Amino acid sequence: MLKIENLHATVADKPILKGLSLTINAGEIHAIMGPNGAGKSTLAYTLGGRPGYEPTGGGATLLGQDLLAMEPHERAAAGLFLGFQYPVEIPGVSNVQFLREALNSQRRARGEEPLSAAEFLRLAREKAKLLGMDMEMLKRPVNVGFSGGEKKRAEMVHMGILDPTLAILDETDSGLDIDALKTVGGGINAIMRAPDKAVLLITHYQRLLDYVKPDFVHILADGRIVRSGGPELALALEREGYAEVIAA
Amino acid sequence: MNKALALPTRRDEAWRYSDLDAVARVWPVDEPDRLIVPAGERRTMTLLLDDGAEAVAIRDHPVEIGAGGTLSVHLLAIGGALGRVTFDVTLARGAHFELKAALVGNAAQTIELVTTVTHAEPDATSRQTVRAIAAGHATTSYLGQIRVARDAQKTDAAQSFKAMLLDRTATANAKPELEIFADDVKCAHGATVGELDKAALFYMASRGLDPAGARALLLRAFIAGLFDDMTDEGEHARFEAAALAKLEALG
Amino acid sequence: MSAPLKNADALEAVRKASDYEWGFVSDIEQEFAPKGLSEETVRFISAKKNEPSWMLDWRLKAYRHWLTMEAPDWAKLDVPPIDYQDAYYYAAPKKKEELGSLDDLDPEIRRTYEKLGIPIEEQKVLANVAGAPRVAVDAVFDSVSVATTFRKELEEAGVIFRSISEAIREFPDLVKKWLGRVVPMHDNYFATLNCAVFSDGTFVYVPEGVRCPMELSTYFRINAENTGQFERTLIVADKGAYVSYLEGCTAPQRDENQLHAAVVELVALDDAEIKYSTVQNWYPGDAEGKGGIYNFVTKRALCQGRNSKVSWTQVETGSAITWKYPSCVLNGENSVGEFYSVAVTNNFQQADTGTKMIHNGKNSRSTIVSKGISAGRSNGTYRGLVRMAANAENARNFTQCDSLLLGNRCGAHTVPYIEVRNPSAIVEHEATTSKISDDQLFYAMQRGLDAESAVSLIVNGFAKEVLQQLPMEFAVEAQKLLGISLEGSVG
Repeated sequence: MLKIENLHATVADKPILKGLSLTINAGEIHAIMGPNGAGKSTLAYTLGGRPGYEPTGGGATLLGQDLLAMEPHERAAAGLFLGFQYPVEIPGVSNVQFLREALNSQRRARGEEPLSAAEFLRLAREKAKLLGMDMEMLKRPVNVGFSGGEKKRAEMVHMGILDPTLAILDETDSGLDIDALKTVGGGINAIMRAPDKAVLLITHYQRLLDYVKPDFVHILADGRIVRSGGPELALALEREGYAEVIAA
Repeated sequence: MNKALALPTRRDEAWRYSDLDAVARVWPVDEPDRLIVPAGERRTMTLLLDDGAEAVAIRDHPVEIGAGGTLSVHLLAIGGALGRVTFDVTLARGAHFELKAALVGNAAQTIELVTTVTHAEPDATSRQTVRAIAAGHATTSYLGQIRVARDAQKTDAAQSFKAMLLDRTATANAKPELEIFADDVKCAHGATVGELDKAALFYMASRGLDPAGARALLLRAFIAGLFDDMTDEGEHARFEAAALAKLEALG
Repeated sequence: MSAPLKNADALEAVRKASDYEWGFVSDIEQEFAPKGLSEETVRFISAKKNEPSWMLDWRLKAYRHWLTMEAPDWAKLDVPPIDYQDAYYYAAPKKKEELGSLDDLDPEIRRTYEKLGIPIEEQKVLANVAGAPRVAVDAVFDSVSVATTFRKELEEAGVIFRSISEAIREFPDLVKKWLGRVVPMHDNYFATLNCAVFSDGTFVYVPEGVRCPMELSTYFRINAENTGQFERTLIVADKGAYVSYLEGCTAPQRDENQLHAAVVELVALDDAEIKYSTVQNWYPGDAEGKGGIYNFVTKRALCQGRNSKVSWTQVETGSAITWKYPSCVLNGENSVGEFYSVAVTNNFQQADTGTKMIHNGKNSRSTIVSKGISAGRSNGTYRGLVRMAANAENARNFTQCDSLLLGNRCGAHTVPYIEVRNPSAIVEHEATTSKISDDQLFYAMQRGLDAESAVSLIVNGFAKEVLQQLPMEFAVEAQKLLGISLEGSVG
């Protein structure tokens, strides 16, 4: 589904990704872990097409389509969802309005009929309930005045409504207390654990992986994947620290 | 101000609230001294305008702050039939300008401050904090313009003005103006005019403070802090004493 | 893709030809006043309208005074010299007789309004939007009102809804009592010019205790070439009355500039309320700044009565140059003035707009919310005055002025004047300047919106507080308009 080959990327002319390769098949959940500055967020942003994150070599395809050649919104319509580490505030624009426009814009790009207001609200209500979020929250402006936990929960509602093929979740677990972590973990499983979907979790810590069991765990260091393994690798990291495991 | 310049009129924006009769008595005023803060250097300026009741004091301060330079100004304007201070400041790249000012007038005084802060190059910052108190038939005015030139990106400019009127015959004017030609900037101003907090006055009375004492305390609080960061202890003491004496004179 | 480049992409997306879809010309046989401005022109207009002699005298007085005046130059506007002799001051569709009914309306004019989506046929309004709020329309085509709808139903409620020309003939006492009371004849250069040559506009009188049963609206259309439009609107809400009034305007796309100098006067007596909403969409000129309407408008409300309230809401997207300050004179005790404004400038447009809140009455309150959006090489200025007179005990004002810059070739300016003479009055003013951040743009695009939709959504969010004030159907139109106006601008 996602095929990253020898990807190089720079931020402000500084090389961050230095030949990263990774293949994720449908139905799989992968976790990428790594120390600060390893390039975890850069990977997410480069795949999402964030301005300033410049791919300088290699390639990435999603279901055979060249991701790097597309605009960010085209990547979204192609099925890519990026869960932000720091979700952005958009004053005056309600989540409901925002998501409906986003979803219908994606549907139009895929040649599907847009949803009516009523259909959309039904969908939103269902997904909000799934993530334990009050519908009233969705009527408030996007991320404005939300706590850290609420923002991450709202990201999951966005994901539920937009129904992507591949979700890249950048430190979705940061800023969450245990209860929120449980809900968010449950949400990821409910929304994304399907034979035709895949997830790339980017995280510092093992704790989210208690709730979302990864099929594969990769360690990213200095812009490259240095080790890959199963869930046991994450546990080893937690026990021994990055330095030990990378050196091993 | 050039000697050749004609007497200003109300049509001149910078003079719209001035006491033009008083201006006429001293016009034309002397050519001002330009202050140049060299690149990377730090300067401070303290200005206490405490002239006699009949005096007309018009001070004009063109300022250029070089790249990375800083100017910090403390101003207390309390004297003269007309006390008027003008700052026309141009900031080069990364320069910083800071102004803390208190304007206090009573009787028939006109106390005014006119600032034009031009961010001519990127990355400069400016902060202006102005407090004004008008009693009797006094007028206090603050005309503060922030200008951001095209390409002066990452400008960070803030201006805060608060005025207090103590009598029905007093006037407070403000014209906090922004002129912005660059998009990646942080520019904000706030201006409020109001009276002493009635709830606070009552609270203080209920604790046994007499009305005059309560009022004086609140007025001191209103301008408190403006001069706290003055580096010259002697100047600081002089400012505090002058401010206190003026507030007490408001009665 | 580097960061600034990305923003530039979005800018480019919005820069694509700004289509002004209201720019067509209707082919209608018209009659004009002789070109140029003179006493003869004034007499011609007055005669065309069969005006009583007091009206002609008033116009002539204004004209003679105007000759002694100079155009104002204090706004942050670059106004090219206007040749007042090189324009027509009156253009009217030729008609056979007096209109017996709307059916006699020239089919071409009817088509024009259909194309503009303006409901001037009651039947249609009733048939198409059953259950939807009905709107009565006064359609002003160049210098004359061509139709007013729902007259009968309004009359049953006691509401007078007429073109001002008709009102001058039919209700001279009412018009005489209030015309020029709010905006005096000598008020300013453009208002005085309007007094001399005003052509048509709307007159509304809502009698004591009446809540106007429907929204009233006037739709102004400039069609003729080289012709100025000088409309005059007067709305009087008697004690306890309520009326909501909407104003819309468009003009054909032309290379030369056309002058629009209107005067709007509102009067609210005790406990009366007037809600006045404008979506100003005059032709703004092309992407190179050629052509467009000069919109020099004087709008003022007199909140004369106790507890009276006037609320101005404006969405300004059109015109090459806008000079406009809808204001409130708050004389009544507890009177309320509101000004909600979104002003968009793009390409080479210039707008200097804002309000004046003059507080004379005790406990009078005012709110100002101004959202300025500048794009392209345009300049937008908020200019406002809040004055608390010495007897305005406990008066309050709150002002919020926000500017959004799209791109780094435009300008956004804020020029507030605050003058307080009463110690119990409270004035609060806040202003901010921002841009659409790259983060916001990327976030919205990652969720699937293209650059243009993302910009439009974020801009609409920025302007929401104001758009909320508009009547429902107007709000939808205004939202679309914001998006369209910014086509060819930024991120």
